[in-house]
Amino acid sequence: MQTGKVDSSFLVQLLLRPEAVFEKLATFRPEPVDLIMKSVVWLALLPPVFAYFGGKWFGWRLGADKPLYFPDYELKAISAAYFGILVFGYLSTAVVSRWMATTYGARRSFGIHLALVCFVGAPLMLVSCLHLYPDVLINAIGLVFGLLWSAYLLFRGIPVALQIDAQHGMLMASSIVAWLMVGFVSLLGITVVLWQRGIGPAIWA
Amino acid sequence: MSAADIHHRLEKNAGLLIFGILFVSAIGGLVQVLPSVLQESLSTPTANARPYTALELEGRDLYIREGCSTCHSQQIRPLLAEVARYGAHSEAGEFVYDRPFLWGSKRTGPDLHRVGGRYSDAWHRVHLINPRTVVPNSIMPAYPWLDTRPADGRGDIEARLRTLQKLGHPYSDADVAGAAAALEGRTEMDALIAYLQVLGTFSDKGASE
Amino acid sequence: MQDANIPAGESYFDGAVLFLVMAAIGWSVAGMAAGVYVAAELIWPGLDFGQAWLSFGRLRPLHTNGVIFGFGVSALMGTAFYSVQRTCHVRLFAPGLAWFCAVAWQLIVIVGGLSLLAGFNTSKEYAELEWPIDVAIAAIWVCFAIVFFGTIARRRVQLIYVSNWFFGGLIIVIAMLHIVNSLALPVSMTRSYSIYAGAQDAIVQWWYGHNAVGFLLTGGFLGMLYYFLPKQADRPIWSYKLSIVAFWAFTYSYIWAGPHHLHYNSIPEWVQTLGMLMSIILLAPSWATMINAIMTVSGAAEKVRSDPAMKFIVLALAFYGLATFEGSMLAIKSVNVISHFTDWTVGHVHSGALGWNAMITFGTFYYLVPRLVGRELYSVRLANLHFWMALAGTMLYILPMWASGISQGVLWLTLDDLGEPMFSFKDIMASMPPYYLIRFVAGAIFLAGGVLLAWNLIMTIRGHKIVVARPPEVRA
Repeated sequence: MQTGKVDSSFLVQLLLRPEAVFEKLATFRPEPVDLIMKSVVWLALLPPVFAYFGGKWFGWRLGADKPLYFPDYELKAISAAYFGILVFGYLSTAVVSRWMATTYGARRSFGIHLALVCFVGAPLMLVSCLHLYPDVLINAIGLVFGLLWSAYLLFRGIPVALQIDAQHGMLMASSIVAWLMVGFVSLLGITVVLWQRGIGPAIWA
Repeated sequence: MSAADIHHRLEKNAGLLIFGILFVSAIGGLVQVLPSVLQESLSTPTANARPYTALELEGRDLYIREGCSTCHSQQIRPLLAEVARYGAHSEAGEFVYDRPFLWGSKRTGPDLHRVGGRYSDAWHRVHLINPRTVVPNSIMPAYPWLDTRPADGRGDIEARLRTLQKLGHPYSDADVAGAAAALEGRTEMDALIAYLQVLGTFSDKGASE
Repeated sequence: MQDANIPAGESYFDGAVLFLVMAAIGWSVAGMAAGVYVAAELIWPGLDFGQAWLSFGRLRPLHTNGVIFGFGVSALMGTAFYSVQRTCHVRLFAPGLAWFCAVAWQLIVIVGGLSLLAGFNTSKEYAELEWPIDVAIAAIWVCFAIVFFGTIARRRVQLIYVSNWFFGGLIIVIAMLHIVNSLALPVSMTRSYSIYAGAQDAIVQWWYGHNAVGFLLTGGFLGMLYYFLPKQADRPIWSYKLSIVAFWAFTYSYIWAGPHHLHYNSIPEWVQTLGMLMSIILLAPSWATMINAIMTVSGAAEKVRSDPAMKFIVLALAFYGLATFEGSMLAIKSVNVISHFTDWTVGHVHSGALGWNAMITFGTFYYLVPRLVGRELYSVRLANLHFWMALAGTMLYILPMWASGISQGVLWLTLDDLGEPMFSFKDIMASMPPYYLIRFVAGAIFLAGGVLLAWNLIMTIRGHKIVVARPPEVRA
């Protein structure tokens, strides 16, 4: 198995021929640090950057007729936190995936799990361009498309890239879905609690 | 005897298992629910609380019939923004004559606990006949039939007050006997509006803001 | 439905099982159709066509009763009757009484539904039916208990298996909750007044309401899981010890969680706090069970194959994990301050109802029905299609409810510089239709999947009789 560097050509291929990407990953052992610097960081930067400019130009449109505008430093802080959460999400999901690897007989290199998470999550990062117009409904619809696409990549990619049979792959993918749902709902809860303690956008009295 | 052995005894004896389940599941209710049900303060009315008149009671039972509490709550929480929007927060003593309680669990429409006195009878009539005439984007259903049906369609208003009397509501026998007469010539709409207008007036803090 | 030529050597009695399964399928379609209709009414209020009986307030309890008491209880009763026999190696006790339970229950749901349309309604959630029907429910429930525990009393297997503890818990605890919460003084045949009033009624109601979820929708279906999962995976439950600890911790803790429905309401502070703490503690036994199930499945992946039944069960476990986690989280007061009264609660309910209850039942039925009639499933392809529709429907339901719920909660509490609410209630609600539209489509997709299941299973059963199965001791 060759250790190797995963570069942007993988990402382009992902959009057009995902199966080929996963098959290529099956023969690779990506170096985690290289992967983080070349792919994770850049992908994770997309949503916060889009969100910053969208919030600055159009304000948050949460549904009632007045958009909410925030001071510049708050928008930057929100984007910084968003970036941090995404990087944490990538790394923690890769850790969880690697932890599950023994149970499902999958490959155990951290790099391959990180690469998998990186590629599976890529559609969501791309769809986040909708943050440039931060209307909740539009972003919610975009999220649905992004999720469907990512879910497809997850269920297809895991058995191929991790070299396990279809049945174990299905189980492992489902377990990762469970982890992601719980993680996301926790994020909702934690966000809500922090906002009330004053750590968050100042829309409260 | 190890823990596994103890449990084996439960697994071999259906009677023990049944008793065990009943006992374990009853504890929570006994410690948490029973004291609350017996607690005096939760059944002590506020100074302004009173039993509903016959017309108001009919209105309340119509509110229940039409399922209003599936969309409207009657419970103002002690939160700054909620009090600013709806009025003084709700207190247990205001609800002692509510059988059953109507606090609701969803606000598809606004909270109604202190809606009494906020809108005129005429406004309520127009709104209930077709909400969209006063609130264009409203998704509330229309209730035109309330205006044409006579109050107390089931003819049991006297029985209702008598039952509540048995449950401890301080109605006099004259109240009970005069109930049917009080509803003479009134429509369901009159009754529901009478009920809505009394909501929130039982607070000790005075009239709703 | 039994072949009269088989000699009367003891066989399992499955007639009522198949009847209840078919009833459950019928109610799932009817109950979910009512749900889709009320979802549409929240977008287009004119869909009641000026008729009182079609109005949202009357149809909503029709939906909840149809899915919980029609679909849920029929499925639980049927699978309880099926599994208790096979775990006890003995024919069902009093088959005639079992038939009575099965048929009488359907009558209750039908009569109950009609009574709700007519406006006979107590307004207490999941206990809307008036007192005569409550009495009938109690009577049938006693019969259910007799059949179930009677079978256990006559068992040939010494130890009572774990699925029977959960079904037993369902029967016993629901009886206690139903009887206490329904206590009322009748005014007439169609009206009664609760013996509890105000804050006290609220506390009793949510002790009932939360534990109806706990012991019917969670505990009962765990009974289903503990029997059918090992059967489908062809392996025993991963950890027997864990199942014991989880069961008793579950039965003890769930009961206390009711007051989390009443955070910041006018009930004593200590009751709210206790409810919150126990709701969080409850996460442990809930997830212990989930882990037990997942580890059971993981150890037998070969059985997963392209088996659609297994796919349903695996995703049902994932949603069970989500829903139980989200429930504990929503019970925290700081989160509840935002979520209470909003669509977030509705989203949470449906992640459990669609993702856990419906999916585990569908998976169980795809396994059970072919076995009952001794045939292969009519179409594996349709079942797989159903799976993806159910998954898509569930996700599409939850996501807009999270978005709309948090929007509502946050915007309701937003004040402007003068300390006045920044947004009017009607303006906030005016922006909800798009979310409700996505939710409506989601429900329609889920319903369509349910129709596929009904078709698939009817075609599987058509023209076939129930296979006669015998307890091992009798076979030998």
